[in-house]
Amino acid sequence: MEKLNVFASRLLPKEDFVCAGHRACQGCAEVLAMRLVHKALGRNTIAASATGCMEIISSPYPETAWAIPWIHVAFENSASVASGIESALKALMRKGRLPKRKINVIAYGGDGATADIGLQWISGAMERGHNMIYVCYDNEAYMNTGIQRSSSTPLHASTTTSPAGKVVPGQQTWKKNVVEIMAAHSIPYVATINPSYPFDLVRKVQKAAAIEGPAYLHAYSCCPTGWGSRPEIGIQLGRLAVETGIFPLYEVENGQYRVQEKQETLRPLKDYLKTQRRFRHFSEAMIAQSEQRVKKEYELLLKKEQMTKEGV
Amino acid sequence: MTVKFTINGVPVEAEKGESVIDVARRYGFEIPSLCHHPAVEPYGACRVCLVEISKGGRKKMTTCCNYEVQDGIEVVTDNEDIRRNRATVIELLLAEAPKAKAIVKLAEEYGIHKSRYEKEGDPVAQMHDGCILCGLCVRVCTEVVEVSALNFTGRGDKRNVGTPYMETPQNCIACGACAYVCPTDCIGFEEENGVRRLKKWNRELPLAKGEDGRPFAPQFQLWYFTQKAGLDKDFYKKGGPGSR
Repeated sequence: MEKLNVFASRLLPKEDFVCAGHRACQGCAEVLAMRLVHKALGRNTIAASATGCMEIISSPYPETAWAIPWIHVAFENSASVASGIESALKALMRKGRLPKRKINVIAYGGDGATADIGLQWISGAMERGHNMIYVCYDNEAYMNTGIQRSSSTPLHASTTTSPAGKVVPGQQTWKKNVVEIMAAHSIPYVATINPSYPFDLVRKVQKAAAIEGPAYLHAYSCCPTGWGSRPEIGIQLGRLAVETGIFPLYEVENGQYRVQEKQETLRPLKDYLKTQRRFRHFSEAMIAQSEQRVKKEYELLLKKEQMTKEGV
Repeated sequence: MTVKFTINGVPVEAEKGESVIDVARRYGFEIPSLCHHPAVEPYGACRVCLVEISKGGRKKMTTCCNYEVQDGIEVVTDNEDIRRNRATVIELLLAEAPKAKAIVKLAEEYGIHKSRYEKEGDPVAQMHDGCILCGLCVRVCTEVVEVSALNFTGRGDKRNVGTPYMETPQNCIACGACAYVCPTDCIGFEEENGVRRLKKWNRELPLAKGEDGRPFAPQFQLWYFTQKAGLDKDFYKKGGPGSR
């Protein structure tokens, strides 16, 4: 469905619930992902937002970019608040104080709020099986506070708290695989989304909303400010990330893996790395090290898809 | 010009010329529908969006997607009568397309698990092959894509959606908008080995390669874009924005 272009895009819903006039940086793909997510979810949605870029830029006092009920909570507990909202809606509907209808509950946070600070809260919400969606907008560092490293920062990337120098070449650990952590909770739906593939994104969000029970979506979001990439190539970066295999698009539905935009041969990782300042200091050896790991993980993913195929 | 009326007793405002379903959905009232899309003209084919509209003391049940807003009308979107009528319509649709996910889901909401009208080997249902004749693909192809590769053919039980002379449509650009908008997913859009295929229309188009050697869009479609937008005819060969 992803290759549908130009005309199908005119058939997406016209209404926006993350409205124009927000204060995101030029070329921000994160807010684009968020806008598409809410386009797909529609009007009957309640959002709980963790502290982060998307909270800061959408609600500078006394303005708001939100056309739906939206609550800003602390850095760590957006998933808990969303599970509370879901329980409250359930109770109100049971008591007849609200008409019975489908109301989507969504919680979201950045990669810091998801992979570091809020991980146990999200884990709790997923484990309790609330009918909600959690979306992680992953821009691979704490961007709004000044580009500090998070556990989601890729290997050897330079950030303000992991600067690349002569002795230590940037971030020392491989990116934490939160998607797999969530898949290990055996929740009904886990998927990765990318605003460069909008139809895939919309389909996955609608699927997540239709499914009873918790769903986790992990959005790739390019950050020109933090990554030091040109603002106009945000969409291209998203495609490169999929084509080089560093951020594969896949979904895990009831334990069954499905890879979208399958690559027969992965593009050289260099194509992706050379577009960003945070990878500027990379030597050939470092590129080879990352590429090897990316390849290994991609093959593992394809194997998982084979193993969990229907009928096997 | 603003039009004022009520939906389920709630006073609402709308612009003149809007349809009742768009206004109702904007105010958060849920009305099921399969053939309505805001990007194209309303058509009233699926009959699922039945509502009760009272005007000057007279009540009638009608589809709201092709009902223009009027001053002083009273719209009721849900009551026992409406649900019973919708259920009948959905049961008939389910007999046409028993495998379509959207219809099965709708049927479950209305408590229908198996259609009474479904027949093994029904020639009409076989001809339609999962299509419910909602006409969305026809309208999208005409109004949005402006290619008009599709239209309705035949009358009565011979009515079907098809291409000119039921042959491969030579003007279809394989953009896939029909497959995207189809409520029953009966068109079949696939892409492999550098060829894009629309199964129902039997259209196959080779894909042009981008600057990186990966297939990205049908050549014929790119030609159509350059014609329509008045671009240079080598626009996409030069690695224009389309290849990324």
